[in-house]
Amino acid sequence: MELRRYIVRRMIQVIIIFFLILTVLFLLFRLAPGDPVSMMVDPDMTQEDAEILIVQLGLDQPIGVQYLIYLKNFFTGHFGFSFHYGEPVVDIIWNRLPNTILLFTTSIILSALVGVFLGKIASWHKGKKTDSLMTIGALVTHTLFLPWLALILIWIFAYKFGWFPINGMISEEVWLDPEAGFIAKALDVMYHMVLPLFTLFLIHFGAYLLIMRSSMLETLKEDYILTARAKGLTEKVIRDHHAAPNAALPVVTSVGLSLAFSINGGALTETVFTWPGIGRELVSSVSQNDYPLALACFLMIAGVVLVSNLVVDVLYAYLDPRIRY
Amino acid sequence: MPCMNAKQRRFSCRWVLILACATMLLTGSCLVSTASAANILKMGLLQEPKTLNVWRASDRWSRKVVGLMYQPLYVRDPETLKLIPWLAAEPPLFDEKTLCYTVKIRPAKWSDGTELTSEDVAFTARFINEFKVPRYRSKWNFVKKIETPDKRTVKFYLKEPKAIFVSRSLTTPIVQKKEWTKLAEEARKTKKPLKRLLNEKIKNPVSSGPFVLKEWRQGGFLYLQKNKHFFGTGKKIQGRLLGPYIDGVIFKIYGTSDASILSLKKGSIDMFWWGIQPGYIEDLRANPDIELFQNEKSALYYMGFNLRRAPFNDANLRRAIATLVDEDFIIKRILQGYGIRMYSIIPPGNAFWYCPDVPRYGEGLDREARIKKAFGILRDAGYTWDVPPVDGSGKVVNGEGIKLPDGKPMEKFTILTPPADYDPHRAMCGMMMQEWLRMLGIPAYSKPMAFGALLQQVKVRHDFDSFVLGYGNLSLDPDYLRNFFISTNDKKRGWNMSGYNNPHFDKIANESASAMNRDKRRNLIWEMQKIIIGDVPYIPLYDPKLIEAVRKGRFTGWVQMLGGVGNIWSFCQLKPM
Amino acid sequence: MTESDSSNRMTAKEKYPWITSFLEGWSIFRQNLLGKIGLVLLIIFALMAICSYIPPWISPMYNPMTGVDPEITSCTPPSLRHWLGTDFMGRDILSQLLAGARIAFMVGISAAVMSIVLGVSIGMTAGYMGKFVDTLLMRLADMIMVMPTLLVVLLLSAVFGQLNIWTIVLIIALFRWPGVSRIIRGQTLSLKQRPFIEAAKVAGASHFRIIFMHIMPNVLPLAFLFMTFRVTSAIITEAALAFLGFGDPGTVSWGMMLQWVWKTGHMFQAPYWLLPPGICISLITLSFYMLGRAMDEVLDPRLRKEDQTD
Repeated sequence: MELRRYIVRRMIQVIIIFFLILTVLFLLFRLAPGDPVSMMVDPDMTQEDAEILIVQLGLDQPIGVQYLIYLKNFFTGHFGFSFHYGEPVVDIIWNRLPNTILLFTTSIILSALVGVFLGKIASWHKGKKTDSLMTIGALVTHTLFLPWLALILIWIFAYKFGWFPINGMISEEVWLDPEAGFIAKALDVMYHMVLPLFTLFLIHFGAYLLIMRSSMLETLKEDYILTARAKGLTEKVIRDHHAAPNAALPVVTSVGLSLAFSINGGALTETVFTWPGIGRELVSSVSQNDYPLALACFLMIAGVVLVSNLVVDVLYAYLDPRIRY
Repeated sequence: MPCMNAKQRRFSCRWVLILACATMLLTGSCLVSTASAANILKMGLLQEPKTLNVWRASDRWSRKVVGLMYQPLYVRDPETLKLIPWLAAEPPLFDEKTLCYTVKIRPAKWSDGTELTSEDVAFTARFINEFKVPRYRSKWNFVKKIETPDKRTVKFYLKEPKAIFVSRSLTTPIVQKKEWTKLAEEARKTKKPLKRLLNEKIKNPVSSGPFVLKEWRQGGFLYLQKNKHFFGTGKKIQGRLLGPYIDGVIFKIYGTSDASILSLKKGSIDMFWWGIQPGYIEDLRANPDIELFQNEKSALYYMGFNLRRAPFNDANLRRAIATLVDEDFIIKRILQGYGIRMYSIIPPGNAFWYCPDVPRYGEGLDREARIKKAFGILRDAGYTWDVPPVDGSGKVVNGEGIKLPDGKPMEKFTILTPPADYDPHRAMCGMMMQEWLRMLGIPAYSKPMAFGALLQQVKVRHDFDSFVLGYGNLSLDPDYLRNFFISTNDKKRGWNMSGYNNPHFDKIANESASAMNRDKRRNLIWEMQKIIIGDVPYIPLYDPKLIEAVRKGRFTGWVQMLGGVGNIWSFCQLKPM
Repeated sequence: MTESDSSNRMTAKEKYPWITSFLEGWSIFRQNLLGKIGLVLLIIFALMAICSYIPPWISPMYNPMTGVDPEITSCTPPSLRHWLGTDFMGRDILSQLLAGARIAFMVGISAAVMSIVLGVSIGMTAGYMGKFVDTLLMRLADMIMVMPTLLVVLLLSAVFGQLNIWTIVLIIALFRWPGVSRIIRGQTLSLKQRPFIEAAKVAGASHFRIIFMHIMPNVLPLAFLFMTFRVTSAIITEAALAFLGFGDPGTVSWGMMLQWVWKTGHMFQAPYWLLPPGICISLITLSFYMLGRAMDEVLDPRLRKEDQTD
C-alpha cells in the first residue's frame, strides 16, 4: 500500500516537472530574439514573404495564445510542424526514435554487462596487477573526449583500414536489392552500428567497471559472505553466486542516474556518425532555429529521462525494503 | 534465488558477447563485396534534403533534388547562359500594347502519364498568387490575368511592365493541376491555407523532369528513377540530344566533406555535389580516378556597412576602406587563387549586365600606396590623427588615434563575420580587414558570430557596424541590385541591410525594373552599378570559383556551366561508359 | 629541529586543527599513485596555460585567434616555425593549444566554483531548514539533475542566438549544482543532530550564523572533493558544445579546435591537428578525475581504514 502511494506521488511529481520544463522552454523559445525566417537568406525571399511566413507559422500571435495552442497540440499528440521539414514534428520523431533506441540501449546493455563482468574480476584481484590495470584502463577510457574518440575510431577503422563504413545507418546497395531479406538488412544496420556502438561502449564500460568494483568490495565484507565462507564454499561460487548479484544492484541504479550523461554522449555520437537519431536531429534543428522540432526532441529526451528515473526509483524501493519515502 | 540470478546473468552475459563478436565478423565479411548497380549515378550530399514539397523547399539540398523533378518553362543554355525554351516550345512573344506574353508549350507528359497542358501552367501561376507562396509570390503578383486559348498556349497579361518576367517568373517550376487542386481545396478550408500547403508532405511527387522519386528512406538515401515520360527524351534541345541515359540517381548523405571525399575516392559515390575546399585539391588532382571541374559561380561576397550610424554614414570613410582592402591578396592568399576579383556588385561572369567601368579603388597599388591613398582621402575629408599613418617625410607608420571630422575620436567598431567553420574565407577576410584598418589607426575588431545570430543582428535588428556576408547563388537577372539598395527595402528583414538611401538611385532602379527593352535596361543597370560603387555601401570582395570532383570511369558527359556540373543538362546527357 | 621549534609547531597545529588534518591528508595523498599522476598532469596543464601568453608576445602571427602566418595559407605539418603545424588558415596550432589550456582552466574552475557555492548553500539551506523548503529544493535538484546539461546549453544557445564563454560557464554552473547539494544536505542533516549545533542554538546564534559558522566548515572538505568532478564535467561540456559548433566563436578552446578540424574537413589529412586538442581534453579530464579519486580516499576515513587492514 505504502509503495503504491509512493509511486503515485512520484508520478504526479514527474508530470508536474515535465510541464514545468515544457513551459519554461516554450517561453524561452518564444521570447528568443532569433526566428527561423531570418535564416532564409536567398535574395528571392523578400521582406513581405518573410512577414507572410511569420503569420503562417503563427509567430505573430501573443505568447499566451501560442502557449495554449502548443498545449492543445501537445495533448492531441501533435507537436506542431517543423519549420524546415514542413512535416508534423511527431512524424519526424517517430522516424528517428527507433534508431536512437537501437543504438542507445544496445550500447548501455553491452557496456553494463562488460563493466560488471570486468569489475567483478578487478575486485577479486584487488591490489594486484590485474586490478590496477583494469582500474587505470577504465579511468582512461571513461575520461576520453567522446567526439574525439569517435573521430579517431573513424580515422583508424574506416579510413586507414577501411573495415567499417564512415557514417550513416544503412547502405543503399542492400536496401534497394529486392533479394535482400530481413536478415541481410539487419546485418547491414549492425555493420553500420559497430563503430558508434564501440565508441559509446568504450566511454561507458569504465564507469560501470569502477562502480561494480567498489560495490563488490563493499559486499564482500557483508555477513552473509562470511557465512558462505564459513560454510566452506569455493571462492568462485561465493564470488559469482553470492556477491556479484547483490553488488550489481548499484550498477543498475547508476544506469538510471547516469542517463543524462549517456544521452549527451549519444547526441554527440549520432552527430559524428550521422546516425539518424533524435540527438542528431536535436543538434541540427537547433542550428537551424527550427524551434518546434528542437523543443519536441528535447521534451522527448526529458520525458524518457524522467520516466526512467522514476522506474529506477520505484524499482529500488521495491527491491530494497529499507528504503521508504 | 541469488544463485539463479547469477547463473542467468552469467549465461546471458557470455551469450551476448559471443553473439556480438560473431555478428561483427559476419557483417564485416559479407558486406564488403556487394556489387553496385550498373547505371545508377550516386551523388554525395552533405545534408539530407528536408522535403520534396517544391513550395516548401528552402534548403539547398532539397532544392537540388526537387530541381531534377519539377521543371520550368525556360532554362539557361549552359554556354551562352541565354534563356531557352524548355517546357515551352519557343521564346515568349511580347505584345507591348496589351502587356501580354504568349508562351507555347511543348507536348509533354507528367510522370503519371497524363498530359502536361497550358492549364497546368496557368494553374501554377494562379496558385502562387492565390496562396502567396513565398519566394515566387513577388515574381507573379504583377500578373493581372492568365488565359489559355488552347492546350498548348498560355497568355499572361501584366499589370505593368516588368523586366523580370521572362527571366524570373517564367523560370518557376510548373506543378500538376490535378495533384495540387485537391491539396489547394483542402487548404482553402483551413484558417491558414498557405501553412497547410507548405506543410503538405508530398510522398509521391508528380513531376515532369528527367527523374521521378522511387524511394526515400529518411536518414539513409534518396533514390530517383528515370522518368519514362520525360518530354526531352530523344529530343534535341539547343543541339543537345537528351536522355536521360542513366537509370537513376541515388543521393547519399555524408555529414562532412571529409566523409564525402573519402567515399568518392573509394568509389562509393560518383560525384560529391558540393564545392571542394582548396585543401583537398592537390590530393584529388593526383588521383587518376578523379576528375576535377572548375566553374564560375554567380556569387557575391562583400563587406557591408551600417550607413544608419556614424562613422559609416560618411562615404569618404567607406571609400578609404575600399581603397585599403586588398582584393588580390584575398583571392590569392585566402582563396588560394580559386576566385575572381569583383569590382561591381554584379559578377563579371554575368557579362551582359556587368558594368566594366565602375570606380576601381586602389587597383594595382601595393600596401603602402593603398595606405597613402586612403590616408589622403580621409585627410581631405577632415579626419585627423594623434599619430598620422603617413608621417611628415611621407613614410608609412602605424596610425593612432583617428578622429572624425567633428573632432570626436572614432569609436571601436566590429566587423561581424560568420564563424571560421561555417566559412573560413569570410572569417579570415574579417581578420585581414581588421589588420589593414588598424594600420590606418581605425579601431576595427573582427568578430566571428554564429550565422543565425549574425543575420538576426544585421537583417532584423540592424544593430551592427559592418559585416562580411555573401550570396552563393545570385540569379543571373540583375534585379537584386535594385533590391539590395532601394530605400523602400530598408526595413526590418528587408534586403537593404546597409540602409542605403539615395533618391536618385531609387528612381533609376525603379525605371530599370519596368524597362522592357533589354538594352535600355542594361544602361540603367550600369548606371546603378556606378552609383553604388561610387558610394560603396558594400565593398565587393570576391566571387569564388567552384571546384567539383567526379569519378572517372563510370559515367561521362558532364556539362560544365556557371554554377557547376550538377545542372539539369548534365543529368540529361550523362552516359554510362 | 630544536625543541622550541617543534613545540611551536605543536601549538600551531593545536591552534589550527585543519593544518593537522591537511598534513595528514597530504601524506596519504602522497602515497596515492593516481593522485600523484593527476597532480603532475595538472601542473603541466597549468604551465601550458601560463605559457599561452608567450607566443603572441613573440610575434602577432602566433595570436591563437587572429594571428595568421603571412607565408602560409593552408594546413601545414609541424615545422620549426610552427612546432605543431598550422591550421587551415595558417594559424599556429601550438599557440591555440596553449590558449586552449587557459580557457579550459578558466571554464572548469569558474564553473566548478560557482556550482559548488550554489550547491553548498542550497544543500545546507535544505538540510538545515527541512520541511517544505527541503522538499522544494530537493525536487528542484532532482529535476535539474536528470537533465542532460549539454543538450540544455545547446537549446539555450539556440534561444539566445549565441552564447559567450561566460554565459556558457554560468549555465553549466546553474545545471551542475544538484549533485553537490544532495550530498551536502545529507551531511547537514547529520550535523544538525550534533550537540554543538544544539549548543549554538541555545546560545542564541542566528540561523545564518549557525549555517555559515558551524555547519559550513564541516562540509567544506566534501565540497572541495566534488569540485574536482565539477571541473571535469564543465570542461567536457564546454568542449562538446564548441565541438558541435555552439561555442563562443571568439575564443579558442580545445573543443573549438576539434570543430575546426572536423568541419573544415582536415580530419584525415592533418593528424597533427586532430590529435593534440583531443589528447589534451582527455588528459585534463583524466587528471582532475584521478585527483578527485585520490582526494576521495583522503577524505573518506572508512575507505582508508579498509586499505590499511587489507
